[in-house]
Amino acid sequence: MTMSELAYPPRITTFTAPFWDALRSGTFTTTRCNRCEHITFPPKPVCPDCWSDDVSWIELSGRGTLRSYTEVVIAPAMFAHEAPYVLCLVDLDEGVRCVSRVLASWDDLRPDMRVRVTMREAEPAHLFEFVLDGEEVTP
Amino acid sequence: MEPLASVVGIGALPVGKHKDTLEHEMMLRALVDAVTDAGISKNDIDALSFCLPRPYAEQRYFGTFMAGYLEIPVDDILLEVLGNGMTGGLAFDIAVDRVATGKAKVAVALGVNRELHVPTGEHMHLSMRAVGDVDFHVPFGVTPISWYALNATRYMHDYGLTREQLAAIPVKNRRHASMNPIAQMREEITVEDVLAARPIVRPLGLLDVPPRSDGAVAIVVARPDIARSLGRYVDVVGRGFYHEGIHQVSSRPRDLTTFESAEIASAKAYKSCGITAADLDFLEVYAPCSIVELILTESVGLFERGTGGIAAVDGQTAIGGRVPVSPSGGLASRGHPPHVTPLYNVFEAVQQLRGEAGQRQVAGAGIGAVTAELGDYNATMMHVLSAGE
Repeated sequence: MTMSELAYPPRITTFTAPFWDALRSGTFTTTRCNRCEHITFPPKPVCPDCWSDDVSWIELSGRGTLRSYTEVVIAPAMFAHEAPYVLCLVDLDEGVRCVSRVLASWDDLRPDMRVRVTMREAEPAHLFEFVLDGEEVTP
Repeated sequence: MEPLASVVGIGALPVGKHKDTLEHEMMLRALVDAVTDAGISKNDIDALSFCLPRPYAEQRYFGTFMAGYLEIPVDDILLEVLGNGMTGGLAFDIAVDRVATGKAKVAVALGVNRELHVPTGEHMHLSMRAVGDVDFHVPFGVTPISWYALNATRYMHDYGLTREQLAAIPVKNRRHASMNPIAQMREEITVEDVLAARPIVRPLGLLDVPPRSDGAVAIVVARPDIARSLGRYVDVVGRGFYHEGIHQVSSRPRDLTTFESAEIASAKAYKSCGITAADLDFLEVYAPCSIVELILTESVGLFERGTGGIAAVDGQTAIGGRVPVSPSGGLASRGHPPHVTPLYNVFEAVQQLRGEAGQRQVAGAGIGAVTAELGDYNATMMHVLSAGE
């Protein structure tokens, strides 16, 4: 991967810095509630289930299934140079859903394919994306 | 059915390009038309419930500006509301509520939405920030319509819906729009046209998604006894709202092929006026693209899950079919000025229930429903309207 500038970079705050720092070192993380054990994504300083602020960072496996996807052919001006690109919804094995990109062509994709995370090296932050994991499951 | 309030006047500009007209010039035309249509005067207006204009409207504090521009003293309340695609639905809901709760005798829900004076790039940029998490979705390039494409991919997989079947919806809606003098896109299209259109967010193409549009609408709502003294009215008889506590996508994996908020809000709306989905003579929905209309027709109880595509192909949702959906032409053909689209839906419903819809009149229209939404239909507002006795 070549180093690139993100078209629309995330804001990195005191709270979210550990997430973006972890991506930079190749680790995909989020928060889990210490009181009710609910895992949420993206990470939040308060558990959205029980509203406890006693949460911890955990490492995610980065593996999951492709719930759905779309190829963006017509993109906003700032993303036009990246189009076409494939957005996806991934249900991670930890039971949380995230939005990302899958690095595969539209024609090669089918729902429920297995995917795993990969990191896009970019500035000012690295981004988590997915690739096909080689094995397919039927729902 | 005891009415909450009654619609006594409507005014709307044709949906489309209004490039050389300022926002307040558009708004005053719709408002004066609606007040004239109602047979009242500006002095009868107790409440003005405005749609907040889009962020790039030049004139800010638009509601109070407008009251000054047309010299309308207001006794009860004047406000501007915002809820993305639900904006017009909220403005209408508040107008109905001010009347239903006795705070106003006459309330007007109104709004103007100009889109076409803004470059497409800037427009998409602002929209992206409205329909996703700025830090965890937007960096991937998630566009507003791409959320619905995710619904489409999964729905096609789960139920075997084909692109040809899905194309029945844009074709049907364009036929409806061809009979609607205020519609933006009126040239009829075929299934082949839909399939051949350039892809936008696969599997959706150009004819599945709405154009950019300008528009302005005003709806005059009055106490039912006043409405009856005026003589011509449509009653608002039911109302339901539900927000899932989700914005676009839930962290918890859930179904992409149904809209839970629409199931719950519609059930509440039907219950509030003692009807079922089967009693609806038509439905004028907020459905920005083909797949949304399909899923919505199932979620509000018109069709069993997985059968909305077949129903559309069979013509059940066309004018003349079992339950016409989007008789106006819908968002992709009537046009889609998002903040006021729900008011255009009310405008269409009132025309239908008055029997004034011309060529696209739904025969015997007595009860109809309108919807508005937030996110990926994460919230739904439904109002049920009745032609009355």
